[in-house]
Amino acid sequence: MNTYYAANLLIYAGVDIIACLSLNLVFGVSGIVNFSFIVFQAVGAYTTAVLSLPPDSTSGYDFQHYIGGFNLPFPIPWIGGALAGGLLAIPVGFVVLRKLRSDYQAIALLVMSVIANTVITNADKFLNGAAGLALVPQPLSTQVDPSTDAYYYLYVGITAVAVVIVLIVANRIVNSPYGRSLRAMRERELAATAIGKNPVAMKMTVFIVGGVIAGLSGAILVGFIALWAPSVWLYPETIILFAAVIVGGKGNNIGAILGALLVPVGFEEVTRFIPPIGPVGLIPALQWVAIGLLIIGFLWFRPDGVRPESRRVFEGGPAREVR
Amino acid sequence: MDLYLEALGFGLVSMSVIAIAAVGFTMQFGITNMINLAYGEVMISSAYVAYYINRAGISIWIGMLAAAVFGAVFSFLLNRFVYAPFQAKGTSLIGMVIVSLAVSLMIANLLLPIVGYYSVSYENATGDLLHFGPIILTTNQIAIIGVALLLMLVIHGLLRYTRLGKAMRATAANPTLARNCGIPTRRVIDVVWLITGALCGMAGTVAAINSDSFAIANGASFLITVLAAAVLGGAGQPYGAMIGAVLIGVITELSAATWSPQYKEVVAFGILVLVMVLRPQGLLAKRGALAAAG
Repeated sequence: MNTYYAANLLIYAGVDIIACLSLNLVFGVSGIVNFSFIVFQAVGAYTTAVLSLPPDSTSGYDFQHYIGGFNLPFPIPWIGGALAGGLLAIPVGFVVLRKLRSDYQAIALLVMSVIANTVITNADKFLNGAAGLALVPQPLSTQVDPSTDAYYYLYVGITAVAVVIVLIVANRIVNSPYGRSLRAMRERELAATAIGKNPVAMKMTVFIVGGVIAGLSGAILVGFIALWAPSVWLYPETIILFAAVIVGGKGNNIGAILGALLVPVGFEEVTRFIPPIGPVGLIPALQWVAIGLLIIGFLWFRPDGVRPESRRVFEGGPAREVR
Repeated sequence: MDLYLEALGFGLVSMSVIAIAAVGFTMQFGITNMINLAYGEVMISSAYVAYYINRAGISIWIGMLAAAVFGAVFSFLLNRFVYAPFQAKGTSLIGMVIVSLAVSLMIANLLLPIVGYYSVSYENATGDLLHFGPIILTTNQIAIIGVALLLMLVIHGLLRYTRLGKAMRATAANPTLARNCGIPTRRVIDVVWLITGALCGMAGTVAAINSDSFAIANGASFLITVLAAAVLGGAGQPYGAMIGAVLIGVITELSAATWSPQYKEVVAFGILVLVMVLRPQGLLAKRGALAAAG
């Protein structure tokens, strides 16, 4: 029981860290307000699920209807999930990132998130509608029994490896000349364009990379909880991750990790111990209110977050105040 | 053929509801430069105010006026205590969008413990059936169309023929210049939030009258339809929002009649995507989605 609780906590922490690193690349570093982040995670999770599930005509699985059902062994569904996140980013980016002003991008993505959920909920033959997919085979479950402690250790280990890989990739991007261009574009797009950077191409690239990482986070999550339904990827879930990146400090990976540990992990764990008082649903509702307050409070009092992005100054330049 | 005419009848009602909401939303954006994502939640809160008054046995139309007052005061306070301070602090457009989304989340979840999860509906909200050939509408639906026409005329008169309307247009065009010409832009903006809030409150009530039942979750779908109409017409353009409402209203009702009513918002979203790809500045735009973020 305790091993399960600890493993559960660590795996959720890993998934949230990966999600926040992705959101930080897209939102914190590049300034794209991706209000449909959770859709990319969901696409990764659904893809992983249908790649690892057997066809829906198999006995034991025939209570649900879904497309595909390929019954593929472990690493392939995860890779598929990550790729699906990246593939989704291409058409979405094509619509949203080319011409629109930044605040229009935000509302278009928000609306997309709500609509995608509506469509999947209503299309019940596609991914089993509102009920969602259940009994998703867990990775390596044929080699190790998923109900044992050993399996939990294994899963925590795999998650940790994924976190490290994503962190290395994100760090490489943030510190590369490309990352520098992204920050320049975030600060002043016109100036970045004037020195020969193509903002649309840069945004598309980072949006696709962010989509791949988000898809991977969904793959890891669905592999552990073994089910996925529209109710777990409603648009407010994206707002929690935005709260995390804003609280942690947007624009730097350490801040994103800190935010992931403080908001989705820390905050939800603390409020879990509040006794259930008042009418049913009061505490969850107040949790959401607190998330809203957290965002507004931080944007007002400490817009750079707990760990602000370090200001990068060119050493050889004349000493003067930047901005 | 009758199917299409019947859908057109519902389209008339739908476009009236959307027009009231979208004009309010687009005026907030055009004049105060604020994409207020909490608009749908203010609509649904106002609809609940009308619901409690209606449940006490009072006519729904009196309830609508109370909802208008509630929406006006609520929007005014929201701007005074949240949006305006952030704008004065120099928060970017993106920052303001995030703030308004956080506000929207808070309103919905503060409302939830008060009104509960279940769908509710107004009493005596339908009225008698009237037949106009194949088009069948209830008296209340006719009244909604009347209210919308009246409000659109009032807004038109306000913007075109009054000093206040002139001041609003000046503030929308260039707030600094307007202030330098002696227009009290702060007070103009306060009035804009009161007026648009009242529109928002009435829109919430008529939207709730027009649907059989409503719940908190409807806030998001209200917002999507309003955004689609406002963006289609050219954000910040009251007349554009009216045109957008007409198109979205008719198209969504036709799609509901011929395809499936579950996908009304999906169709609205499809129109939104098409507009964003083909004509991001909207149908009538002087300013629109194309300009660089300030």
